[in-house]
Amino acid sequence: MTATTQRAASRTKAKERARFEPRIVAFCCNWCSYAGADLAGTSRMQMPPNIRIIRVNCTGRIDPSFILDALYEGADGVLVSGCHPGDCHYTSGNLRMRSRYVLLKRLLEQAGIEPERVHLQWASAAEGDVFAQGVTDMVERIRRLGPNPVRRRR
Amino acid sequence: MTKRAAFAQLSSCWGCDQSLVDLHLKLLDVLPELEIVYWPAVVDYKLKDLENLPDRSIHFGFVEGSCRTREDEHLLRTMRAKSKVLVAWGSCSCYGGVQGLANQWTLKELLERKFLKAETITDGRIPDENVPGFKEDIRPNPDVVPFDVLLPGCPPTSDNTAEALSALLAGQPFDLPEKTVCDQCPKVREEKHIKVVHRTHEGKVDPERCLLDQGYLCLGFATIGMCGAQCPSVNTPCKGCFGPPPGIKDHGAKIISALGAIAEMSPEELKEAFPDPLGSFYFTDYAASYLSRLVGHTKEEEQ
Repeated sequence: MTATTQRAASRTKAKERARFEPRIVAFCCNWCSYAGADLAGTSRMQMPPNIRIIRVNCTGRIDPSFILDALYEGADGVLVSGCHPGDCHYTSGNLRMRSRYVLLKRLLEQAGIEPERVHLQWASAAEGDVFAQGVTDMVERIRRLGPNPVRRRR
Repeated sequence: MTKRAAFAQLSSCWGCDQSLVDLHLKLLDVLPELEIVYWPAVVDYKLKDLENLPDRSIHFGFVEGSCRTREDEHLLRTMRAKSKVLVAWGSCSCYGGVQGLANQWTLKELLERKFLKAETITDGRIPDENVPGFKEDIRPNPDVVPFDVLLPGCPPTSDNTAEALSALLAGQPFDLPEKTVCDQCPKVREEKHIKVVHRTHEGKVDPERCLLDQGYLCLGFATIGMCGAQCPSVNTPCKGCFGPPPGIKDHGAKIISALGAIAEMSPEELKEAFPDPLGSFYFTDYAASYLSRLVGHTKEEEQ
């Protein structure tokens, strides 16, 4: 590679980074966070448009393979949002998710994938602001990490 | 009419052959119906013997092991070309095997660790003459060429291989069972409340009760039941060497999904409970996992 093409390549790379808009899959539980997201919307709270919400009945329904599949299919990050501990509509689904999340993070870390690409947060139906802030933080976090390597290759 | 069969070995321990030979006198039931045209583990065949056969002239080709070297991949592709029915024989062939765990590191790191930094080595050098050369990472053989039959196991039991062979000889399909090791395990199971995870060498096992109930990481619940629960029956936790039942995309994800439901432990305790989660949850099938595939993409990106 000559110096000129190298410079051009690094310029395109910098441009790509500036243009990078994270694509984030969010799993929200029906009873708390999905309603919280709804509240954030109807209250016209501002948040980045980078997330695609998938509603599940409970975060306890989320198999870790859903999260890995999302990453494999090119999502830059996966946000899981559920009820606060003790508030689960099904009593303990969110605690199960928390245990799975802890183990999944360990797997990601050991495999050499940034564990920050997966994040778990609690947001109740009344906490539209917490949800909006969580989304804003998540997008910031992923923007710093850059695109999912799978997506860069395609 | 006898059927022509070939048994090829890629990078592996050749334990699958050992398991087949362990059939002893029962081998006599199937051997008269087979004409073995290639089996270097037992008879001195050369690669050119296989290469000289006409395409699709082998009825049943059994491939054991995974592709660590370029020669392995050549042998695998040759077997595919020469065989009508290609069988992925053993967990190495189906999922990449134990050596798939090496995908956590780059090839450079692995070569340096093995040939330069090993404790017993004084004047290390990485061999590069008269050797076929290594592949950058391990991939499950079905990612390299299409297979017709999967027969996992580390190794598949003698009976597994005999059953598969008999089914093939009779022209019947050989499908993997949906049941798990737990379904075959004789131990008494109770409601699960796991408060602490023991290493295998810790404590004393109650031989009557389920090992998982006692806090040992026994992976029978997420592992395909073909072995007859050999390990749990002798109080050794299942390591999941046969891989997950059909339909489960990721063995480790299934395991942590189940552990999340039954572990009554704080996040901090859970974090500390498994010193080597990849090794514990993906004993023989890390190469087939989402994680390994994701990292594989990253490696290609860096090159």
